[in-house]
Amino acid sequence: MLVLDRLGKIYPNGVNALERFSAEVRLGEIVAIIGGSGCGKSTLLRAIAGLDRATTGTVTLDETAITGPHAKIGIIFQEPRLLPWLSVADNIGFGLSEAPSHVRREKVARALARVGLADKANAWPRELSGGQAQRVAIARALVPQPEVLLLDEPFSALDAFTRRDLQDHLLDLWADTRPTLVLVTHDVDEAVVLADRVLVMRPRPGRLFDEIRINLARPRDRNSPLFDNFKRRVLTALDRSLDRSVPDTAAKSNAGEAMWW
Amino acid sequence: MAMTVELPALEQVDTMAPHAPSGRLRRLARPTLGLLLPVGLALAWEIIVRLGLSSGRLVPPPTKLFATIVELARSGELARHIMATLTRVIAGFGLGVIAGTVLGAISGYWGLARRLLDPSVQALRAIPSIAWVPLFILWLGIFETSKIALIAVGVFFPVYLGVMGAILSVDRKIVEVGRTFRLSGPAMIRRILLPAVLPAYVVALRVGLGLGWMFVVAAEFMGASEGLGYLLIDGQQLGKPAQILAAIVIFAILGKTTDWLIELGAAPLLRWQDAFGRQGGAT
Repeated sequence: MLVLDRLGKIYPNGVNALERFSAEVRLGEIVAIIGGSGCGKSTLLRAIAGLDRATTGTVTLDETAITGPHAKIGIIFQEPRLLPWLSVADNIGFGLSEAPSHVRREKVARALARVGLADKANAWPRELSGGQAQRVAIARALVPQPEVLLLDEPFSALDAFTRRDLQDHLLDLWADTRPTLVLVTHDVDEAVVLADRVLVMRPRPGRLFDEIRINLARPRDRNSPLFDNFKRRVLTALDRSLDRSVPDTAAKSNAGEAMWW
Repeated sequence: MAMTVELPALEQVDTMAPHAPSGRLRRLARPTLGLLLPVGLALAWEIIVRLGLSSGRLVPPPTKLFATIVELARSGELARHIMATLTRVIAGFGLGVIAGTVLGAISGYWGLARRLLDPSVQALRAIPSIAWVPLFILWLGIFETSKIALIAVGVFFPVYLGVMGAILSVDRKIVEVGRTFRLSGPAMIRRILLPAVLPAYVVALRVGLGLGWMFVVAAEFMGASEGLGYLLIDGQQLGKPAQILAAIVIFAILGKTTDWLIELGAAPLLRWQDAFGRQGGAT
């Protein structure tokens, strides 16, 4: 269980990026965090990853306080961030340097096949397309088998077709080991297609505004009326999050369904 | 490699002469296009001197130049001078590279050291290195030590700046990848920082080597009894322009060859780079 307890972040320049953000994420759950720009989504994710520490509050994973990068937490960024001097296979095996080489080779080969890039094992990162590079980044993060995988707008730089393809692919990969996924996005479609729960944030300062459960079986049909219905609910919550006169509703709706609806 | 075509213009005079860009030869002709001007000029000068239009006393014709080199080589003089110069360059280059790399890495990696060290280094860099010559002779004597010190000073600055700049410009996002995989300090240096700075480092080494060759001449001007720089001075004082030109040609060959060796040595480590030269630059 990943527990975020009253996380707050004030940057040295006085910007109040995040305020009293609390949430609990079960093992294997997929949570999407959505909100307008400047609502502290990325700040939140970086705090969970242990890359930047929160000013106040705590992050705990299975009763362990997270104060820096942790072996059980993997992260995928908006850009693939592959190391250009390593082959695709070596990039995927980057987090396994302590494993014996035959174990590493076998795991890398399996991951390559799993993301459909077995023929690119010896290619350089610069030879990959954007979607392929992001697949490699996903494989690199998943190969050490993290308990929690954080994704910071992982598909936002890709074209619509590749994005859909990778969203489906991510769910496939997730089903292998079922890690907890915490996904930051600004794409409503993406949030509804992937998440069990969508957390809507409001900006300045970044706070949790609302929480919407997506009770849809997977695989989800992006064209079904139910899917549209959930999308509309997220969109409405996003609109309301920008309206200053509406108070935060998350505290009241933690029973599951959005009560204000 | 492209370097081979630029080398001994003298020896290529006869092989290149009967060359006409017919259709079949067009592909071969393209890389040799750059040879047309120097070879043509050399040939023209040879003809002018042969026809007696000029004495060729101050500007010896290519055959005379070639004969001088052969003569120097046959007597063993050439090898002695080349060895002397090469030893100085290697020693000075080695020292300059070590000092530049160590201090550049410290300045690049550690902000406090940079604020402490860098202003002084930059101030020293503003001094034309030749200005050190009298001081080095006073301190280190007229023999090898002062010469090597001068070359090392010349090599130091580009290497220092290259290493520091390269470390400072390593992509923060890539470093963050290392952090998320919890690399220790040494592992971060070995697996992220070193490979990331390598391309810039190779460039710095090549610039440094170029300056090393420049400064060896200056060093050998200050009273040497052997070395290619000595051949230059000797040729001037005894009025032997062919010897001066021979030394210059050998400088060119040595400079290009050593530069090429660095390029060759680094090539396997830099295969990952976007190789414009290899893919699209050939045409």
